[in-house]
Amino acid sequence: MANSNLPRRIIKETQRLLSEPAPGISASPSEDNMRYFNVMILGPTQSPYEGGVFKLELFLPEEYPMAAPKVRFLTKIYHPNIDKLGRICLDILKDKWSPALQIRTVLLSIQALLSAPNPDDPLSENIAKHWKTNEAEAVETAKEWTRLYASGA
Amino acid sequence: MESEDDIDMHDANNESGEDDFYSGGDDDAGAMAAYDDSDADVADYEFIDNDSDDSDDLVSHRYQQNYTVLSEVDICQRQEDDIMRISTVLSISKVEAGILLRYYNWSVSKVHDEWFADEERVRRSVGLLEKPVVPFPDGREMTCGICFETYPYDRLHAAACGHPFCNSCWAGYISTSINDGPGCLMLRCPDPSCAAAVGQDMINVLASDEDKEKYFRYFIRSYVEDNRKTKWCPAPGCDYAVDFILGSGSYDVSCRCSYGFCWNCTEEAHRPVDCGTVAKWILKNSAESENMNWILANSKPCPKCKRPIEKNQGCMHITCTPPCKFEFCWLCLGAWSEHGERTGGFYACNRYETAKQEGVYDEAEKRREMAKNSLERYTHYYERWATNQSSRQKALADLQQMQTVHLEKLSDIQCQPESQLKFITEAWLQIVECRRVLKWTYAYGYYLPEHEHAKRQFFEYLQGEAESGLERLHQCAEKELQVYLNAEGPSKDFNEFRTKLAGLTSVTRNYFENLVRALENGLSDVDSHGASSRMGSSKSLGGGSSRGRSGKAKGSTSRSSGSSRNIDDSGHWSCEYCTYANVKSAAICQMCQQRR
Repeated sequence: MANSNLPRRIIKETQRLLSEPAPGISASPSEDNMRYFNVMILGPTQSPYEGGVFKLELFLPEEYPMAAPKVRFLTKIYHPNIDKLGRICLDILKDKWSPALQIRTVLLSIQALLSAPNPDDPLSENIAKHWKTNEAEAVETAKEWTRLYASGA
Repeated sequence: MESEDDIDMHDANNESGEDDFYSGGDDDAGAMAAYDDSDADVADYEFIDNDSDDSDDLVSHRYQQNYTVLSEVDICQRQEDDIMRISTVLSISKVEAGILLRYYNWSVSKVHDEWFADEERVRRSVGLLEKPVVPFPDGREMTCGICFETYPYDRLHAAACGHPFCNSCWAGYISTSINDGPGCLMLRCPDPSCAAAVGQDMINVLASDEDKEKYFRYFIRSYVEDNRKTKWCPAPGCDYAVDFILGSGSYDVSCRCSYGFCWNCTEEAHRPVDCGTVAKWILKNSAESENMNWILANSKPCPKCKRPIEKNQGCMHITCTPPCKFEFCWLCLGAWSEHGERTGGFYACNRYETAKQEGVYDEAEKRREMAKNSLERYTHYYERWATNQSSRQKALADLQQMQTVHLEKLSDIQCQPESQLKFITEAWLQIVECRRVLKWTYAYGYYLPEHEHAKRQFFEYLQGEAESGLERLHQCAEKELQVYLNAEGPSKDFNEFRTKLAGLTSVTRNYFENLVRALENGLSDVDSHGASSRMGSSKSLGGGSSRGRSGKAKGSTSRSSGSSRNIDDSGHWSCEYCTYANVKSAAICQMCQQRR
């Protein structure tokens, strides 16, 4: 399998993710592809996503770590920087990627994004608009979606 | 009296200096002296492009002063010199000087200003660290921050910050960045919290040869593309760049590859029309020209409602679509109800032939031109713009042909040394340049507001004059020259031909000088007050205009073109060689020195 010549960096990262997981985050590689991770992020406390369990997928491309990992939400989420396909607008996943960053730092950044939505740099125009015009209502919708889609995990 | 004033105005324009077409020497020299940027480098490189030979005289003497064409060698040399200067003055390494210059878009003066204002801040934002932020490993082994492998000390590298990464991770990091584009010139340490710059020295040590070459290309390109004063020549396949002295007047430059372009907007040279108008016009053309070409080639406007109609069936009986429903004859555009046996049968139209002979359709043509239909208006200008464009292309090809083949042949046939045939090249250069100017005046005309009657009329007058002058010149250089090219041996009237062509070249140049000057100062010689009088009383101006419009004024004309104060024909004689209108008292043509 392709896993046999997995770079040492990926093996080390995987080991550390499993042995010392970051609080509220779990990431485990798929059995048949060590570059594919099943990720769970708990909704941060004091955020509209509190109490939710969000599933994501993370894939390390061939060029990793020179290129950023590919990450996507699988659980539906109401968030101005995440679109309906689960794609995430986050600088370190794009132009601000550095090979000195890791899976752990990426997932922590995504967790932080849930605590601090940024409607000024939106991926989902409608949600961002909602957020800016009536934040209280938008937050309610986000809570509602969390209840509906992210609680049964 | 009122019309006198108008004419004075126009003539004053003519007299204001025959010789400084395109504002030659003095103006530019002044602008140069005024150019007081502390980038003293400008002076070092003046006139590199002065090696143009005599035949280019016409072009080079107009332009040589406010720009320099740079080859790749020149570019590298300048870049190197700038880096050296900064390195010396700021006492930093050449690599650091390169990073610094790149950050400030290669402006030596900007680097000076910023550095001496706040060196600390500049170092921080550019990423030039004076000492490492982390101590470089003192142990024997270290773990690379990217691949997590452990390496001995000598297999690791760090930028000035000291964050160590192994050589192969550096190579991958650098390679990824270089293959991502010119952003690699601003590469920073891979550590996300660190801003230390990664310069050419590290690239040289750590990158592959292929990547080094790419980096070098980006480095050179940056010197041209990020520099406020330089731009690449936009001609396809041309490697030259043009360094322009900002604020020195006309943006028209001529690259060493012979392509003339506007340095400001990098469209082809469009003087005297401004960049904004050109951009609007080009946008309009790209949106409409395809449609327009098709409509012109395949349709006629319905004589009643003016909508374009495509004839897609055989017979000449056309019925316009509702609501118009006008029935007419495709050939003569007359009402179908008037057709029948009388007109030669239902499926033929002899009215068309007769009317064509009588010239009735020229009238119809003119009427349609006058119509305010915007499509027609645009078509009018577009057609002329495009025709002059293709005419210029043809003239360029002819010039080429002339220089490579015909001149030598002509020299043999007419027993003239080639140096004596320079007037032909000059004529063709003038034609090429005039076609360019004329072309752009049609874009100008399109955007000249309809209600500015006086300006329109003055503009169309000047344009008409210039156009008919150019037609005469083009005709002479194209057709009349053929006779001498096809002759068996020397023609005795060849010298007369020389005089005529040289005269026409000179006269046409004058016409275009006037046109360019007038458009460049926004036709400011005409005010709305002068408009009514011109419209009312100055018949001869109108006449000149409409004749010029047709662009086919032939033979001798007695239009005043320069020194004359009278607009009417009396008291002038027209030179039969160059058609220049001379004052009565002159016995020798002022333009071409031929006897009366």
